[in-house]
Amino acid sequence: MSGPSSMRTPLERVRGLGSAHTGTSDFWRQRLTAVAMTLLIVPVLVVILMLIGRNHAGAAQILGSIPIAIILLLFIVASTWHMKIGMQIVIEDYVHSEKVKLACVMANNFFCVAVALASIYAILKLSSGV
Amino acid sequence: MYFGTLLLAWWLIAAASGPTAYANVQAFTGSIIGKLILFGYTWALLHHLVSGMRYFVWDLGYGFKANEREALTWGALIAGISLTVLVWIIAYAVGGGR
Amino acid sequence: MVEFALPKNSKISGGKTWPKPAGATETREFRVYRWNPDDGKNPSVDTYYVDTHDCGPMVLDGLIWIKNHIDPTLTFRRSCREGVCGSCAMNIDGQNTLACTKSMHDVGAGGAVKVNPLPHQPVVKDLVPDLTNFYAQYASIEPWLKTTTPTPQKEWRQSHEDREKLDGLYECILCACCSTSCPSYWWNSERFLGPAALLQATRWVTDSRDEATGERLDNLEDPFRLYRCHTIMNCAKACPKGLNPSEAIAELKFKMVERQI
Repeated sequence: MSGPSSMRTPLERVRGLGSAHTGTSDFWRQRLTAVAMTLLIVPVLVVILMLIGRNHAGAAQILGSIPIAIILLLFIVASTWHMKIGMQIVIEDYVHSEKVKLACVMANNFFCVAVALASIYAILKLSSGV
Repeated sequence: MYFGTLLLAWWLIAAASGPTAYANVQAFTGSIIGKLILFGYTWALLHHLVSGMRYFVWDLGYGFKANEREALTWGALIAGISLTVLVWIIAYAVGGGR
Repeated sequence: MVEFALPKNSKISGGKTWPKPAGATETREFRVYRWNPDDGKNPSVDTYYVDTHDCGPMVLDGLIWIKNHIDPTLTFRRSCREGVCGSCAMNIDGQNTLACTKSMHDVGAGGAVKVNPLPHQPVVKDLVPDLTNFYAQYASIEPWLKTTTPTPQKEWRQSHEDREKLDGLYECILCACCSTSCPSYWWNSERFLGPAALLQATRWVTDSRDEATGERLDNLEDPFRLYRCHTIMNCAKACPKGLNPSEAIAELKFKMVERQI
């Protein structure tokens, strides 16, 4: 961005590189995943409470059952997607150096995908009983 | 909360890995520090949930008056704390603290 | 990275306490931000005592009294002194508002009246902020009627119901109280249009006579221009005209979704 010392007109500085014509889909997906998690939170909490005090075999059996695995899979997809969008918004708010910002956004994507895939893999493994 | 998801991932992977790894998680969540972190994480999550519900109201164009905004915000704070405490009471009732 | 602390040359240091006016039976303490671009010094906060029996009730009356009786170098903008021009917007007792409509008796229960320029804008001198970027952002939303249909002989017609939809939008006086109270605007004022410009954008998107609605939404659809608004609502709290920019922005976001899904 050009500083105030630039000889560009104020209007040209405001217009900058123009509108990106995006943003609504992220806004919408953030609400979509939020509603999904609002619906899923009660079953997810029930599952977690069911696991309290159980040993590994008991826990693995519960986590591997079909309805519970599906509930957890849905929750993981919704939550990691939601947190990817949310964290990107925070990064855009506070990180102003363009290159550092790109690196942060990239790291954010890697982190969220890694958490999502690791969790999904664990649940699928428990479900397949291997 | 962002890094709290690591807890969830760790726990699931441990469950998938086998009894030893799972016992490690249980040892952590059973410790005082583990419980404190878990309690904090529960609150962060549930506060985010009820606080986030305010945005559904605002996005649909309601609740913008000064008294409504304040009520929603205080309501979210109180609901978040109450739900957290409720969840932990149930947790203790079900599992006897473990 | 966002700057959370003031740069070295903007840190407030020292400040002069001016003598109490002679013969005054009742005074009110004013602590006013001072900065002079010409003396090379850091900003300071000066303390003045206003003779409340010789002065009108509003904070602006106090500032004018100081300028007339104590310190003619005190610099601030003012014009209409009745809340319609938006010139005297400043931060009074931690809240952005108009000095002309804020009674000094409503400020901090008899304590000092603290007066600062609007937050997070470059300062020209004392209480005068540089609002160039703010005005350019207003210009960028093209705040005029845009039509393709040939102009009718008499006037563009509008139903009573459609006119009513502009209530709560058209009253904005562009004082900048809302935008400069918005944390998101503080961090990203180069790219986020801010509540005031977005309220006006809503005003033109809502206007039934305007024929450029889609084009206007196209220009706003941007992660920064519009979607830096996180519904913090400082804008609604600050607006001295009682308008609600966050509500107007929610309308814009709803329209964005509406045309896409």
